[in-house]
This record gives sequence, C-alpha cells and structure tokens, in this order.
Amino acid sequence: MNLTGTKQGCDYEGECGACTVLLDGKAIRSCLTPIANVEGREVLTIEGVSDGEILHPLQQAFIETGAVQCGFCTPGMILSALALLEQTPNPNSQQISQALEGNLCRCTGYVRIAQAVEQAAAQLRGEVSSPANQSTANLQPLGGNGLRSDSMEKVTGKAKYAEDYRFPHALQIKVGRSPYFHARIIKLDTEKAQKIPGVVKIITSADIPGENGFEIYSVAEPVLTKLGDNVRMLAAPIFLVVAGSAEIAEEALQAVDCEFQPLPHTFNMDEALSEHFPPIIGDSNILSSFEVKHGNLEGAFSNSEVVLETHYETAFLEHAALEREALVGYIDEEGRITVVGGNHQPHNQQRYIANALGMPIEKVRVITPYTGGSFGGKQDPWPFIAVALAVYHTHQPVRLIYSRQESFDASPKRHPYSVHYQMGASKNGKLSGVKVRINANTGGYDSGGYYIPNYALTAAGGAYRWQAVDGLARSVYTNGPKSGQFRGFGTSQSTFALECALDELSQKLEVDPLEFRLQNCLQDGQISFLGYPLAETLGYQNVLEEMKPYYKQFIRQTEEVNQQNSQSPLRQGVGLAGMWYRFGKGGSLRVEAHSELALDGHIVIYASAPDYGQGTQTAISQIAAETLGIKRDLVEFINADTAKVPNSDIQGASRALYFVGGAVHQTITTLKKAIFSVASELIDAPVETLTLEDAWVRMIEEPNRKVSLAAVAEEFERIGKSRRVREWFDLTDRVPLNQQVEYAPFFVTGAQLAEVQVDLETGFTQVLRMVAVHDVGKAANPTDAAGQIEGAMVMGLGAALMEEFIPGVTSGFSSYQIPTFGAMPEIKVILVEVPSRYGPFGVKGLGEAAMLPSTPAIINGICRTIGKRIYSIPATPEKVLKAILQG
Amino acid sequence: MDAITLIQPQSIGDVLQAFKEYPEMGHILAGGTDLLPDLRKKKKEAPILIDIHHIPELQQINITGNFLEIGAAVTFAQIEEHPFVLEQIPMLTEAARSVGALPLQNSATWVGNLVQAMPAADGAIAALALEAELYIVSLQGSTWQKVETLFRAAGVSIIDPSQQLITKVRVPIPVVQWGTGWQRLGRRNALTLPILNCAVKLELERGTISKARIALGPVAPTPMRALQAENHLVGKQLDEKILQEAALLAQAESHPRSNVLRASAEYRKTVVPVLVKRALKTAWERAQ
Ligand code: FES
Ligand code: FES
Repeated sequence: MNLTGTKQGCDYEGECGACTVLLDGKAIRSCLTPIANVEGREVLTIEGVSDGEILHPLQQAFIETGAVQCGFCTPGMILSALALLEQTPNPNSQQISQALEGNLCRCTGYVRIAQAVEQAAAQLRGEVSSPANQSTANLQPLGGNGLRSDSMEKVTGKAKYAEDYRFPHALQIKVGRSPYFHARIIKLDTEKAQKIPGVVKIITSADIPGENGFEIYSVAEPVLTKLGDNVRMLAAPIFLVVAGSAEIAEEALQAVDCEFQPLPHTFNMDEALSEHFPPIIGDSNILSSFEVKHGNLEGAFSNSEVVLETHYETAFLEHAALEREALVGYIDEEGRITVVGGNHQPHNQQRYIANALGMPIEKVRVITPYTGGSFGGKQDPWPFIAVALAVYHTHQPVRLIYSRQESFDASPKRHPYSVHYQMGASKNGKLSGVKVRINANTGGYDSGGYYIPNYALTAAGGAYRWQAVDGLARSVYTNGPKSGQFRGFGTSQSTFALECALDELSQKLEVDPLEFRLQNCLQDGQISFLGYPLAETLGYQNVLEEMKPYYKQFIRQTEEVNQQNSQSPLRQGVGLAGMWYRFGKGGSLRVEAHSELALDGHIVIYASAPDYGQGTQTAISQIAAETLGIKRDLVEFINADTAKVPNSDIQGASRALYFVGGAVHQTITTLKKAIFSVASELIDAPVETLTLEDAWVRMIEEPNRKVSLAAVAEEFERIGKSRRVREWFDLTDRVPLNQQVEYAPFFVTGAQLAEVQVDLETGFTQVLRMVAVHDVGKAANPTDAAGQIEGAMVMGLGAALMEEFIPGVTSGFSSYQIPTFGAMPEIKVILVEVPSRYGPFGVKGLGEAAMLPSTPAIINGICRTIGKRIYSIPATPEKVLKAILQG
Repeated sequence: MDAITLIQPQSIGDVLQAFKEYPEMGHILAGGTDLLPDLRKKKKEAPILIDIHHIPELQQINITGNFLEIGAAVTFAQIEEHPFVLEQIPMLTEAARSVGALPLQNSATWVGNLVQAMPAADGAIAALALEAELYIVSLQGSTWQKVETLFRAAGVSIIDPSQQLITKVRVPIPVVQWGTGWQRLGRRNALTLPILNCAVKLELERGTISKARIALGPVAPTPMRALQAENHLVGKQLDEKILQEAALLAQAESHPRSNVLRASAEYRKTVVPVLVKRALKTAWERAQ
C-alpha cells in the first residue's frame, strides 16, 4: 500500500497519535497493532474517509474552522473525531476532549479542532446545512477568513511530506553520534563497517570536500567531528553510514570502531563560567555578549522609592514538531544535488550545502515539501548537509529520517536563561531604571547562539519607558544540547523574566498590574529601551486598553468563585503579561520576489516563504490576490524551491508577511501595471479607466470592453515583452544605518490574560481561560492569525507548566510532555489593528510573538493565586506545592 | 524487530497446544500496546506471538454470582463502556479511563496491564483495591490466584507468558453496602504516567467500615496496599479525624522513589495523604 495519510510521529511507541486508524470503528494506534490482528476486520484510514471528491463533513469542518496547520496530526485527529461522532452524535466538550486527548497537535492549540468537531457534529445531525461548495479554491482575498489553499490535501491525507517521497532504491542514512556529553575521539576506524554487505559509504570528516562547518550560521561547529577533536554534547555527529537498508545501516553503526576519552562536562552555566572549569571551547566559555547602556542608572535608582532585585530561570525546550527531521536527496534531471526537506529558507540551506561540498551554488537545489511543523527546529542546516554529502558520494537517492529520540537528542533546543534584574520605580508606579544580566545556555555548540545576547537583551526591556538602562547578555557554552532557533528566538525567556519581575514589582508597589503597565507604556516616537525610537508603529497602549474590560471581569469572577468555594482546595487567580517582539530581525532589509502572467491567464508568484504549517502559502497568495483585486484561485504561488524562485531571504522572526509579502506586493503591482498597459492597447482604452475582474481586464465604465488575461499574455508574447517581473521590497533607506546593524526596529506588541486554577494540596495547575490581545497591524487572514496565536499560547502553556528537556534523560514524547487536548484553556483572541508604516496593507509580523506573554501570564496567575512567587519554569505540581508550603 | 510468527488460537486448548509446541519461544499477545514497543526495542524477544483475540470466551464481561468476570482480551474501553461497572465500581471505570488515552484503551487489556507489573499501572492499583483474582491456565493445570501474588518486582510478574495464560480477572461484588474511589495525579491530564495514583474500596456494615482496601502507586517497587491505614479504618466511621489518621498512616507506609521526569520522593510522600483522603472520601460517599 502506498498511502501517505497515516503518519508517524514517535518511534512507534504510541505516544503521539499521528498513526491513528479506525479498526472496526474504534480509534487505535496502528503502530501498536500487529498487522495480522486486523485481518478480517474493517480498517479505515484517512484515504477512505472522503467519498471520492466529496469531503466528509469533518474534513470540511477542519478546513473551514482553520483546524489544519501543518497537517501532520490531521489525519489521526479526523479519524479519532470520526470514531467519536459515529458513537456519540452530540458530544459535549468533555467527550470531545476524551476522544482526542490521545492525539498530539503542536500547532493549533486544539481550539479550532474542537470547533471543527462541534461544527461537523451539528452538520451530521442535520442541524446546519452543508456548505454547498466543496472546493477550497474560491476564496476571498485579504482580511476575509480565507481558507487555506493547502488544507484540502492535508485533510485527505494526500499531502506529501518529505517521508512520502519514495524512490525505489533509496539508500538510508544513519548517523554515528557521540555517547558522551564531552569527550575526545581517540579512535575512529570504519574499515570493518565499510565491509558489511549493503554498506555503500561511510562518511567521516575526511570525506567533506568543502568546509567542515556552517559558514556564519554556527561558529566552530563541525558538520562531523574528526578524530582527535572533542565532541561537546551528547549525540554530536561523528560519521554517516549510507546503506541499502535501515537495518544494515544500523548494523554498520555498531561496527564502526569509535573510542573516546571522556572529559569533564557540565550543563550549568555558573559552573562553566567558574575559573575552575576548563574551557569547553575557546578560552572563556563565553561565545558572545551584547550590551545596552544609556541614562544615569545610579541616579535613577537613588531617586526610586522601590528597587526590586530578582532572578528567574528557564529550561531547555524542544520544538517537538509532530514530524521529525525527515529529508530525501537525489540528483535532479539537471544534475543538481537536490535535497527535499522542511526548512525556513531554501537558499540559505543551498548555500550551506554548496559551502560544505565546495561546489558552486547552482549545482545544488533545495526543495521545500509539506512540512509537519518546525517552530524554528527545521532551520538547522545539519540534516541538509548530511543528506547532500550522501548524495555527493553515492549519486543515488538517499533518505534521512531521524528517530524521535534522535530528534530530541540532536536537534537544537531553546536556550535556557538565567536572568537577574534590578528595577526601580517611584511609589506612584513610575518605572525608573533597569539593570539586567542575562546568561543564555548555548549548549555545546553555537547554532545561532552567537546572536542570542542581542535578542535576549532586546526582549528584556519591553515596550516600557525607562530613564536609564544597563543591560548585558552573554551566550555561554556548556555541554548541554546545542541551543538554536525556536519560535520567538531568544525573546520568550526574557519576556517571561521581565513580565514576572514587573508583576512582582507591581505587587510590591501595591498597584494594579494593568494600570502599572499602561502608566509606563512606551509611546510611538519615544526613546525605547534600546536607546532610540522605533521605526514602526507601536500599538501597546491600544492593546492594554483593549484588555482592560476582560481583566476586570476575570478578577471579579475569580474572586466570586473563590468566595463560594472557600472550603475547596481549588483556588483561582488571574495573571497578566505583556510583550514586545522585534520581527524581521536576522535577515536582509531588501527582499526579492517575482511574478508572472502565465499563458493561460493566471498569475504566478515566485518567492520563498516556506510554509511549515503557519500558513504563509495562503497568506502570501492572498496579498497577491488583494493587490490585483482578483480571487485567490487565479493566483499560483511557487514557493521555496531554489531552482524556481528568487531568494526572499530567511524566514524567521515572523518576517514572511511583512517582508516577503511586501516584495510580492511590489512585484504584483509592477506586473499589474504591465498588464494594464498592454491591455489598454488591445481594447483601446486609457490605463486609468481599466480594472481587473476575474480573469478579465475591463473598462470600468463600459464593462463589455474587455480582454481576457490569456489574450493579454498572448500579446506579451507577440510583442516580445517579458511576462515575468522581478521586484524588491526595500527598507534599507528607511532605517538609519546605525540601527540596522544591531536591530531592525520593527516591533509588535501584545498582552495576555490567564485565569488559572491551582490545587493548593497538590500544586496541580489547570489554565481555565485565556485572553490574547495582539497588534497585528492588519490581519491578512484573521482565521489563520487567530489560529497561530492559539497554537502559540498552548505552546507557551506547555513551557509554563510541563515542558523541560533534561540532557541525557529526555528521549521522546513520553519523557517530554507537551500539552494534550485536555490542557487547552478556553481562549479568546482579539486582534488590534494599528497599521504598520511600511508593510503591505499595514501588516506586521506575528507568528512567533504570541507565545511570549502566555508563559508569564500563566506564571503570574499561579503566583497571584497562591500568594507566593515561582522563579523558574516549568511550574510543575511539585514546584508549585513547594512554593505554597514555604513559610 | 526480527521475524515473528503470529499464531491465532481459537480456543484455550489451542493456546495450551502452542505452549507445548513452542516451549520458551512463544509469548501471549493481548492488546500489544506494551509488548510491541518492547519487541521493537529488543527489550523482549519472542519469535512466536500467540494472539488471544480469536478466543470467544476471553472477550467477555460476565456477572456471575457475586463476581464480575472480565476476559483477558477485554479492552479498557470495553470496561469503561460497561454499565454495570460504571454503576457498581466507578473506580474501575475511572482507572480504565486513566490508561494512556482512548486509542490505547481501545487496544490495551486489563490483564495485560496487570502482567506488566509496573508499580503504578492504573489497572494494577485498581485491581489491588478491588481484591481481584486471576485465573491462570497452563499445561500444569489451572488455578485462581490473588492479584497481590502476581507482582514480583518492578516490571516483573510471576507469569511466564510463554507457558501461562491468564484467561480472566474476577472482582468480588460485596453483598454489603460499599463504595470505591479513584485518584490520580500526573504532570498533564492524559497520555502520561502517574506521579501518584490511589484506589480505594470501602465496605460498610451498619454504617461503619467493615473492610477497607487502599492501593497506591508508585510508592514501592510493586503496587502497594496501605495495610495499616486499612486496619485503622475498620470498625470506624469516616470523619475528618479518622480520615486524617488513615491518610498519615498510608503516608508512613509509602516509600516512593525520585524520578527526575515525574517527581521527587519527597513530593510524592507529601501528596500521598491528599490522594488517600480524597479517594477515601469519594468511596465513603459512594457507599452511602
Ligand atoms: S506513531 Fe503511533 S502513536 Fe506515534
Ligand atoms: S497541525 Fe497539528 S501538529 Fe501541526
């Protein structure tokens, strides 16, 4: 069977639910079910859920509600929901939760999935009529709740993820990794392993033709560590086995004779920084540092009635995207070394590969397939280089599929921080100065950790007015896992510390935490924490004002509940946190995109905004459709294939909409002009009198004077005019040079509220309700924006309550707990639109920012409930109870 | 996984035949939710799997005399759906619902859960409090055995799945007034092993407790009964003072271990009395 719909997200351990199928109508884990067991019984996979082209109401509802993001969990979710609805046509929320609790989703936060199930149930009961239109093609442009263009394939199981690219004789890659946290390689003998029949090639550092590294992406991180050098983390890669089957590769892995001399290791930054600890790399274990200093801090503190000193810590976190690292490689029809895998910027991966292979960049191609979630995790170039090396040496198709454990061991983590604050304020609640010291644990390798101090510090200031600032952040080597990109790179940890510290301060001052934030809120044009004003509009005050009524309502309601249940060990409380998030950092201020009028009259965009579930495929198409004033089904978006599209630069820091969207807006505007000028000749009407409607250019006044886009395309051909235009979105001259180096001063802001319930006897916390208010500039696709925010919030909830990667201990979904369906609070999302100055239609970056305030809002909620402070995350039941019992 | 042969006996006799034919090579396969990962990771080896799903009598839930009997191939989900269980032994329904999540409950069996002998297996904790008995069949004969005799060490039961088959579990249904209670604490609500779990059964005669069973996990290498707490309750009514005393006795009897992924011994010890109290209270209320 060559079905692609049944996914696999854990190591067949029954921990994820991606593999769910129905056996005699009951949802089961196919990975735990012996094949012979299903003989003679009815097995239903996602492929059998729709009736030919007609979608099942559940599939329809999943699309319509926006319950599909990366889509990796979707087949399993739909099947679990189907089993429920067949048994229970009118399920209550608890029954829905129970039925879906076994299916993990890392993207959506479950909110829309719950809605989808309710909607489909109502429809199946005949209470609402089925929407007639089964096609997802006919969609509104910007600002409408446009449905995602790719969801159709995801709900039917047809979407092809990297693992689903099949080649008849693909070779398998397995990675030889360090069993030590820190050790010198004293022997590396591959001879015996190389002789095992079926082993095609064993690749060590000696087989890397170009740089054994990652250019500027990661300082001093080898692709493969060579004999005599040190591995600095568990699972650091040493060699690759390329073999005819996974079993043979596994056997060869064991047969490679690799010996180590263990070295002292630490995961603790203070220890790594102490004089007694030998440097892990370089001479100080400090990878990089960054400072911000302005104003007279001493003066500010001495004039403050209160100076709070406090300290917060965070944990290593894992992206835990449902799809593990999965890539395939081959030589394409033009002889290019081609790698297919989820990523954030195919052109960067292409460059890193070319650099490691010592090849010209044109000889390398990177293609972005459907990607089962990333959250930054799939930005790591390592798997791309590994696959390319294998293709380079074997000239055959190859596959590299991490096991879940490997994904946990070897993929980059979120940097744990240790944050020390001193902040001053006057009695009436006016902030004065702030001193902050941050250490960020980059683990054994850089992996982007070089830039962390800048992000860490920026987020540590918030959208608040400070008279004086003294900030220092450092990136510190330890032997923990390499830390790297993760949604809200480097900022969520500081935001957690800042917003908790502000909450503490407001308690000390006995002022209302919301009024306190409002009172100190940074206004457009004022000097920011960074020492200069910002380039983009700042909607923080609007955000906080919008939050006010909800805040008051939550406070009142929890007080009532607590009074009514004064005998119960369950106590409720409300926490608030804000955030500012700099989007667009880490890439160029000049971004390219192309568009084309196809011969049949539809419009093609060529750009690079990889969609790993966050919906850029749809949002960018919508921007094009909006610019043209046509329906989205006339727009095709060729995305993120280096052989076909220009370099639109890195997709991270929520850049896609603002930058790539901006470039698409430009190129489409130019294309539209060209189309109109040709059309004006054809129908003999001045350009200003023309409009675009469906696939026709017509005169506004005389709608019958028209010419089809196909005819316009033909005319382009006849007169030898190029149907493809290139354009750039260019902000280089809008941002002063001195600010470009360190910061792209574009910020979004938001605030969130969490109502929590703590069991005072066990410390177990349940988040009951949350409200999120975010300034998005302009919501390009409100459904998707809200979906992104909900997903980010539940991820922030995970970080607040349960997630923690412990080096050498955590190995998979059973030991790294991410929120399940039942952890989902009731969520309300409010989008505030304070238009950006430069973004297309006023949009700002969003995707990542939304998780920043979730964690501190929940922690502040717990602290206000129990009347004690929690200084580190996750706030496990144990930690919370300890705080409660403290004198 | 190495090559595995799967055989599908149609009767208990066929199973015994398989035991005879493949000494030490076979392994009983019920739900498979624990066995399959173990085989994949080579934690266990079994060239021959003896699938018991096709034996009709192992699929049944029966109420016979004063016993509830549950066959070895009955899944947790089937237990959850059983109206008699929900009405008479809600603690068992709740324990069944605690196992992983629904898709696992749709495959996993109570008997399989018992044989795993994990110190905090939800099924085992429930079985212990319910005074369950197991019917063990082998070439040497067959016998009823009490569930407490099943557990040898953490993860080790006395059952040899290459030559013994548990065909069913039975739970005595008291003729007196009785009630059950269940408590479970985890880092999240589902798909997680418990930090602690607790099952309670109380039997009442003339308004006082005539028998108490308190089972706890993981507070010892194997599922544990809090015997002193149980004894303390007999002959008493459950007021705040007795509740507190019993809970503290259970705490003193517990010797949990630390686990970096779940909780420290200290924390577990602190919350034992909380869970015991809550479970006792529920059982007492349900008995009224
Ligand atoms: S693959 Fe089956 S549960 Fe994860
Ligand atoms: S949409 Fe659920 S895991 Fe991505």
